[in-house]
Amino acid sequence: MPITEDSRPSLLADADQVPGRSPGSRSRVGLTRETLVVRVLQVSLGLALVGLWQLAADLKWPDPVLAKSPVQSWDYLVGAARSGELLSNTWATMSAVLIAWVLAGLAGVVAGLALGLMPRTERVLNPYLDAANAMPRIALAPLLIVALGIGQSAKVAVASTLVFFIVLSGARAGVRSADAEWLRLSAVLGARKRQLFFKVLLPVATPAIFAALRLGIIYSLLGVVGSELISARDGLGQLIAYDSSVFQMDGVYGILVLLAVIAVILNQLMSLLERRLLLWQPPADR
Amino acid sequence: MATNESGDPAMTLTSADRQQRPQSAPGAGAAISLNAVTVAYSNPGHDARTVLSGIDLTIPSGEFTALVGRSGCGKTTLLNLIAGLVDPSAGSVSVRGTEPRDARGHLGFMLARDALLPWRTARRNVEYGLELRGIARAKRREIALHWLEAVQLAHAQDHWPWQLSQGMRQRVALARTWALDPSVLLMDEPFAALDVNTRVSVQAKFLELWQAEVHRTVVFVTHDLGEAIALADRVVLLGGGRVLDDVAVEIDRPRDLATISSDRRYQQLYDRLREQLH
Repeated sequence: MPITEDSRPSLLADADQVPGRSPGSRSRVGLTRETLVVRVLQVSLGLALVGLWQLAADLKWPDPVLAKSPVQSWDYLVGAARSGELLSNTWATMSAVLIAWVLAGLAGVVAGLALGLMPRTERVLNPYLDAANAMPRIALAPLLIVALGIGQSAKVAVASTLVFFIVLSGARAGVRSADAEWLRLSAVLGARKRQLFFKVLLPVATPAIFAALRLGIIYSLLGVVGSELISARDGLGQLIAYDSSVFQMDGVYGILVLLAVIAVILNQLMSLLERRLLLWQPPADR
Repeated sequence: MATNESGDPAMTLTSADRQQRPQSAPGAGAAISLNAVTVAYSNPGHDARTVLSGIDLTIPSGEFTALVGRSGCGKTTLLNLIAGLVDPSAGSVSVRGTEPRDARGHLGFMLARDALLPWRTARRNVEYGLELRGIARAKRREIALHWLEAVQLAHAQDHWPWQLSQGMRQRVALARTWALDPSVLLMDEPFAALDVNTRVSVQAKFLELWQAEVHRTVVFVTHDLGEAIALADRVVLLGGGRVLDDVAVEIDRPRDLATISSDRRYQQLYDRLREQLH
């Protein structure tokens, strides 16, 4: 929408054009229709993929050991759900994912904001942070499992090493993105350090922190399942490892799909929360 | 908003505040004074770069002074000195008789870009400075609404900055500045980022606000000679870190921005200043 403003001051009140949508007057109908089309296409694509999988299994394209159909995988999942095995293992995995995400996420936000505000400390620590972040964390899993045992702690530890650095760099970048003019204005208006932090730096870092947390929850899942694959008392990763070792590929596929579905749900939940909290952003930036 | 409505609650606070600060009355002496001020930045590996050298400048209370000059002439540094954002390498700066930093409670500040915080609505942006100064919520809200009305934006109080046009955003910035009831207004090219039509309307709104009350001291940085002459009482031309010219505008107020460029005094000053700029 073009921005037009009358040059005659007396008419200013009437000449104001609000570009974009004003609150409460969103074009809900257009938005809903577009969303509907996207949803229909998404479901169709999903069905097509499952169909392709079924076809591949029916025609025995891969090796017969590997060629398990979606129906077989579904039957496996139903059986595992009935026996209670699926629920207990899913819970073991997801509780570890959430614990790692919350703890490492919090630590990452605090460390990232602190580093963003202390440039010299950040410069000193930077090579070490880079090195730590470049380390293949899954290689730490055996070590952590020996140290912490095959219970929840080791998986949480592996996942935390991933989540922490992702959230740290998000928070650090976010706090750095503060506009110099906001800081100049705030200084002249007499903002104290604490006010500057809570009224400018923290809000400005929020979008980047959320993007990092969203990524972090997926990495938390990857870390936990990876750790379980190596060794764990229970968990979906442990289930995959067991099924693979006995060539029960329908089980492996079923759990992989289940993990993918969980990841999508977590991602959608985070987007929803993000949209709620970041209402102030222009729609293009959301 | 032609006159100062003294019956209005928000304005009552304003006049009460004024009484506590008798120095801000017009004619009560210098609001700002710079004595032999030099600013030099040390440049590793190079000689120190001198931005301002030996500046003497006194700005009386209630005077509207425009600082003009090419980019790099030191005008923004001069403004930053008054705001206490830059310290002089030599000489001294005083604002309302104190160190610039101690006078910040009396300063208003406007920038080329509106510097609105994108996560605050128009009204909450106007409240920002009041919030920093610990004004109670209800009072903040009342003052913010009053000044949004004064810039004809009461209807947009709940809009996010991205929903406002550039001109509207800069008017929110005007409201934010006035809400603090500053006795000294520091303005750094406040209208430079606006397109021509919008600029004229925001300038007019600004002049209207300023002329409607006891004059606040204004230091207005601009590279636009026409704007400087049209708005200010006095134009100080800076170049090479020194004051090249310092001239009183002497055009009667209230001024009409639409016709002022045909004023003979305007043209005379414009030519005089432009000659020295080259």
